[in-house]
Amino acid sequence: MGGFDFSNYARNAALQKQGFPQPQATSTGTTIVGCIFDGGVVIAADTRATSGEIVAEKNCQKLHYITPNIWCAGAGTAADTEFVTALISSQLELHSLSTGRKPRVVTCMTLVKQHLFRHQGHLGAYLVVAGVDPTGINLFTVHAHGSTDKLPYVTMGSGSLAAMSIFESQWQKNLTQEDAVKLCAEAILAGIFNDLGSGSNVNVGIITAEKTTIKRNFIIPNERVPKEQSYRFPRGTTAILKEQMISRAELRKYITIVDMTGKGTVEGDAMEVDA
Amino acid sequence: MDTLIAQYTEPVYDDEIYDGEDAQLTRISGPPTANLKFALPPIAQPSAFLRAVTDDHANPDCPIKIAHGTTTLAFRFKGGIIVATDSRATSGNWIASQTVKKVIEINDKMLGTMAGGAADCQFWLNYLGMECRLHELRHKRRISVAAASKVLSNIVYSYKGMGLSMGTMITGVTPQEGPALYYVDSDGTRHQGDLFCVGSGQTFAYGVLDAEYSYDLSTEDALALGTRSILAATHRDAYSGGYINLYHVKEDGWVKHGFTDTDGIFWKRKLETGEFSNVTVDL
Amino acid sequence: MDPFSINGGACVAMVGKNCVAIACDLRLGKQTLTISNNYPKIFSYGDTYLGLTGLATDIETVSTDLRTKVNMYRLREERDIEPETFTNLVSSYLYQRRFGPFYVSPVVAGINNRTGEPFIAAFDCLGCTDYSKDFVVSGTSSNQLFGTCESLWEPGLEPEDLFETISQVLLNSMDRDALAGWGAHVYIITKDQVIKRLLKTRQD
Repeated sequence: MGGFDFSNYARNAALQKQGFPQPQATSTGTTIVGCIFDGGVVIAADTRATSGEIVAEKNCQKLHYITPNIWCAGAGTAADTEFVTALISSQLELHSLSTGRKPRVVTCMTLVKQHLFRHQGHLGAYLVVAGVDPTGINLFTVHAHGSTDKLPYVTMGSGSLAAMSIFESQWQKNLTQEDAVKLCAEAILAGIFNDLGSGSNVNVGIITAEKTTIKRNFIIPNERVPKEQSYRFPRGTTAILKEQMISRAELRKYITIVDMTGKGTVEGDAMEVDA
Repeated sequence: MDTLIAQYTEPVYDDEIYDGEDAQLTRISGPPTANLKFALPPIAQPSAFLRAVTDDHANPDCPIKIAHGTTTLAFRFKGGIIVATDSRATSGNWIASQTVKKVIEINDKMLGTMAGGAADCQFWLNYLGMECRLHELRHKRRISVAAASKVLSNIVYSYKGMGLSMGTMITGVTPQEGPALYYVDSDGTRHQGDLFCVGSGQTFAYGVLDAEYSYDLSTEDALALGTRSILAATHRDAYSGGYINLYHVKEDGWVKHGFTDTDGIFWKRKLETGEFSNVTVDL
Repeated sequence: MDPFSINGGACVAMVGKNCVAIACDLRLGKQTLTISNNYPKIFSYGDTYLGLTGLATDIETVSTDLRTKVNMYRLREERDIEPETFTNLVSSYLYQRRFGPFYVSPVVAGINNRTGEPFIAAFDCLGCTDYSKDFVVSGTSSNQLFGTCESLWEPGLEPEDLFETISQVLLNSMDRDALAGWGAHVYIITKDQVIKRLLKTRQD
């Protein structure tokens, strides 16, 4: 664990003091929701990422893996939700390996809130933590400053009001899985259509004691209409001053890469790098 | 409150009538004669307000971004006057236009150039054209460039501190003056001179112009020097570019020498004469 | 005065049919003054290419730091870094400076050496990765690049068609940005060769 590197902090703070604007981070500007039902929990998210008024990504994944039975929906600063969930996921994996038990959702929630509280709100991660463990069905929200809630249905992000209006008017006790998924998707759609920070598609995750199902692009209500005509330019449109060709063979002149797998020439354990 | 409202709703100055031959030359107080009542925001300091909402240099997030950024030049030589400008308009880093006409034809004998606020320059140089025509009708002879430029400088001086933004050159050739060139800006400054460059790219244009300038230049060389000076400025200054607008002012009126894309001029010069060796053609 | 637009610059990467392309402008400016017309913003790390726009001093720090890291990876692994792995490296490297970020917006392009799959990605200055199947952009012209990419890009372009599309996208975006332009580099990356081209662009 490297920890944070603050070596640019003084420089950037000095620049800010002189009136330079602060950098614009990608924000998920999001609608995320969660809802429990009889037998499990559903979480859902939209798929828009924004940078200021620009849509930076139209189909991003805001449902983050923690363990097979615990998942997080993230809103706020995109980099923070990404790295906080990855960090906690790794800690939980090690924890479960050393205890020999299945990780619990409260453990995940506690690790997240302690991490966020330690950073005093400077990590802009707003998370919905959901999962099923030996203690039962769990659904939490964690705010950037470290406060948490435990509720039967939750919403977060800039579209949380739109989404909550759906839950407040339509939620009822003892939902079936099908109804819970429908309700969550409906809440996300409310965010997509009524909140400018949210948009594109609906991603859904269903967690039960037996298995977890992640449905990417469960609903695609904003499909782009394909272009009727092509803007392909005739070859030779762009004027070139100089051209250089580098063949792979030429690259190998300086670096030789030989795949030794299975040839028995490499001693010791081969390290797994790519999945 | 009532007094405050009264102060800004009543005309501040009484209309004034030309009463003597050189009325324009001596009038230094009060704005011009025609009905020029501008709507002012109902606040104590309209100029400070204007600056707060339009000055994108001091505040990049200002709500109104006025088109800026220019290189313009004019110089006197034995064959008359050369006037050359670029054609780029920027608001922030966004290039709003590459085809702005920054030479304003006041009438068929006189030219003005445009730098700073585009609207201010267009309006006041157009207005100056009207004043010059009125002078001709009243006095049965053409206005001198000295008088015309002073009319303009007196007008902008009367609005000093209210937020006008313009840097302009007034040129013309008259029998009594010969080729005449005046620099007028919104501070109220008015200078006569042989050679001026105005705008964000002025230093680059001066660099070329000062090195090669001579009063005894041939017309052909003078036109080429005007082009080359603007080209240098468009190359180094991010806020200058587009097309080169070139004029030659003579006693019998001005002649336009084209509105030419810098792209073509640049690569022709670079590839044929070997200038701009700083621009790489190699990988 | 924004650190991201003091020096100016633009970068774009695109996916084609079994190929990727990455392109950048060549300007280095100090606000409105153009200092250099030969400041490429694309760096190669084996078969993976990285485009960096933003504050020039940070472009140089980041590109050399990553050079060190990739060289160490090569020594440890005895193979080239794949674009996907490099993307994770860039992301965690940037996130390490979460509270004192580098003022850069990186773009990655490459072809996976094993699968032959084209790959592109972009990041914000904190290291949030934007995986994309079509195009990614960065720099002072990013708004213009988003617009031209959305209208001109189409799926399944052959390398030479992709070259025309990415070049026109970059050229037309730069022509509406005062702080980018003054020359451009384009890389067309296919499985068995890389073509690098210098474009003839406006110089104003």
